[in-house]
Amino acid sequence: MPDDQSRQFPADTAFSTVERRLVAYLVALWRLRVPIRHAKPDAAGNPPRRVSLSDGLIWMPGTFRGVEGRRSGALFRAALVHAGAHLRFTGPRFPAAGLKPLQLALVSLIEDARVEQLAMREHPGLLRVWRPFHVAEPDGAGTAPALMARLARALIDPGYRDGDAWVAKGRRLFFEAEGEWDNPALSRRIGGLLGNDLGQMRVQFNSKDHVVEPAYRDDNIGLWDHGEAPPTPPSDAEPVFEAFRTEQEERDHGRPDEQLGEGATPARLSATDVPARAVGEEEITAPPLRYPEWDYRVGIDRPDWVVLNERRTGSGDPADIARIVERHRATADRLTALVRSAKVSRPVRLRRQPEGDRMDLDACIDAMVSHRRGEAPDPRVHEVLVRRNRDLSVLLLLDVSASTGDPVAGGGRSVLSVEREAATLFAQALDGLGDPFAIHAFRSNGRQDVSYYRIKAFRQPYDDAARGRLAGLTAGLSTRLGTALRHAGRLLERQATHRRLLLVVTDGEPSDIDVADRRYLLDDARRAVLALAARGIDCFVIGLDPQGREYLTRMFGGRNVMVIDRADKLPEVLPTFYLRLST
Amino acid sequence: MALDAHRIPEEPYYRPVAGEVALFEAAYAARMPMMLKGPTGCGKTRFIEHMAWRLGRPLVTVACHEDMTASDLVGRFLLDPGGTVWHDGPLTQAVRHGAICYLDEIVEARQDTTVVIHPLTDARRILPLEKRNELVQAHPDFQLVISYNPGYQSVLKDLKESTKQRFAAIEFGYPDAAVEAEIVAHESGVAAGTAALLVRIAASSRNLKGHGLQEGVSTRMLIHAGRLAAQGIALETACRIALVLPITDDADVRDAFSAAVSAAIA
Repeated sequence: MPDDQSRQFPADTAFSTVERRLVAYLVALWRLRVPIRHAKPDAAGNPPRRVSLSDGLIWMPGTFRGVEGRRSGALFRAALVHAGAHLRFTGPRFPAAGLKPLQLALVSLIEDARVEQLAMREHPGLLRVWRPFHVAEPDGAGTAPALMARLARALIDPGYRDGDAWVAKGRRLFFEAEGEWDNPALSRRIGGLLGNDLGQMRVQFNSKDHVVEPAYRDDNIGLWDHGEAPPTPPSDAEPVFEAFRTEQEERDHGRPDEQLGEGATPARLSATDVPARAVGEEEITAPPLRYPEWDYRVGIDRPDWVVLNERRTGSGDPADIARIVERHRATADRLTALVRSAKVSRPVRLRRQPEGDRMDLDACIDAMVSHRRGEAPDPRVHEVLVRRNRDLSVLLLLDVSASTGDPVAGGGRSVLSVEREAATLFAQALDGLGDPFAIHAFRSNGRQDVSYYRIKAFRQPYDDAARGRLAGLTAGLSTRLGTALRHAGRLLERQATHRRLLLVVTDGEPSDIDVADRRYLLDDARRAVLALAARGIDCFVIGLDPQGREYLTRMFGGRNVMVIDRADKLPEVLPTFYLRLST
Repeated sequence: MALDAHRIPEEPYYRPVAGEVALFEAAYAARMPMMLKGPTGCGKTRFIEHMAWRLGRPLVTVACHEDMTASDLVGRFLLDPGGTVWHDGPLTQAVRHGAICYLDEIVEARQDTTVVIHPLTDARRILPLEKRNELVQAHPDFQLVISYNPGYQSVLKDLKESTKQRFAAIEFGYPDAAVEAEIVAHESGVAAGTAALLVRIAASSRNLKGHGLQEGVSTRMLIHAGRLAAQGIALETACRIALVLPITDDADVRDAFSAAVSAAIA
């Protein structure tokens, strides 16, 4: 059966290949959605040997050393569900002060057994997940690690027999206390006792070389409070990186003319591959274009009034975009489902057709009625089902003026980073849908210099280069919306689809440094929208300014405006808004 | 009686969860249009059958679909040897003879179809048959009930605001574990312990909702699994064919769910 195939883990499994199914497994068991990070080698370059839990994260080794391929999938499962049991049942950290290394190890061992027993109360079948890895035999050596492995097995495997008095004592203490398994202090008590006993037996124990057995169990560092910051594995740069990016954007719009010299802040800039260029330094990619602008005061289009330059954005790290998708996983999954249902072109029933595969009952009756009346009946008595194909292209135009560098209400992120997230999910959805789409951005610096960025053009694939351009967007300068609309319309017009949609995301009123009259740019944008509508291009705007409905309505018309009161909802709203428009 | 075929002779099993029977009785007394909301397989249809039986009214059920037209609901002219004759559609029959008309999964129908119910669902309680030039005054016992699964493709298919606002709603969900186990045991004939285990398995699939599953395992699916188990199929196999395989095609999610099933079974 095909599914039996898929249940088998392929030989030589790396964690990344089974990550998704195991994460879902943890969700199914306990509704635990824990960020999993890939543990990196330690300072000496040794790959980690065990799972580690810290800061609410699970650090997972990429592979387990010394485990042959086919079993490693099962080992990842056992390891993850063991970590899940800790997260579910282990309370606050135990204070480590005053405990010997051997006692630490034994308290950890009892705690491991305790959380596993509690997990098995809910999910008894977990025994089959863990037991195969307990391979200690009663006739093993009498060293501390061997005895501990035997005790670990005795505490989980009801069928295991061991003649050793210490193992038997541990087992008796543990199972006699079954009523207290809910209490983490139990591990401390029993583990302390057993540690003392083992210490008095003078068996060898080297805490430096100690590796927890069996292999699926975590290193238990996360269990202990050593009174100082616990040693954490090297942390991912993600949160730091977020902070860095906002900072950079602020600097960009704060001092737009300053050149960010390469190497000026090398430590920080190493977080991205290429530092974003300051505004004004971006490469111009096409000859400048001149556009007219509407002056309401005199009632004419001022010819060739505005100069528009297409520029290239600084390129960022495509991995940022992948991270955004990961962070919005739930939304992305829901969008995928929506897209799937939108993609299947819906059948439409056409009635009163001259030919078709079914009779149209109402048409037949009408035909018979006219026949009896002596009239010539209408011969179109069939109906057909046709599939209505999606035939539209969409251009998403992002406002990246200086105000988009401001933080959104109630969150540290900037408007631009919210726009970026929204564009990411939008692109993800559209890529799946197959509708031709483009993502462009604009800002302006007076009428002589409107910048226009093609992040993803219609003909380009949505690939890492496009993702990099999206990641590299920065905020700065002003919002001369009308000109950007005219240029976007010109590009969109070349699309040979039945419908063409221009979606604008903006956070404020049009403005520019050389215009003092508030109404001037508003009326120009309105004029541009009307001209586009006349050419068969539908314009819609999503406003991120809760007070923006009035001026957006003036420019785009009431039906084409959507104002969202919380900008941070944009990533969710934008793709669903598009799907609603397009179905 | 015209609608004898639609009468429900025996009491359909229904286990009340939170006073919904009393709520519905009160709504029926006012002939208020009702909306039953809830995920699939949680007992909406069974509930309305039970209520029709309890109130002694015939129940006319229409399963709505995308291709449904207003005349499929209201009726149309057909031909016979003497000429054209009018045939009432299911809605018109219910309106004339005082049945409860249940429009199942109304969001599946196109929005322009569903507006025919508007005059029935306000103070007028009339159904205009424009083709016959007739105005049918609703029978005093007539009531309109629709079912609606809100989680279902909410963007592409939704009720019009003007339709939604005509209804009072009762919300259905999956019942508490103990009650759900009781239902599963009653409907499928498995022992109480097995039913409780099935409900625990359902909980793990409901955890996966939004993480790969559109919807968790419904009570109806549990009953299917229980019925197979009651015939001697091993429980894990029964869960596999009645729960895991139908609910998703995503290999990873399927693997996670089967592993969770296997973890629940001792």
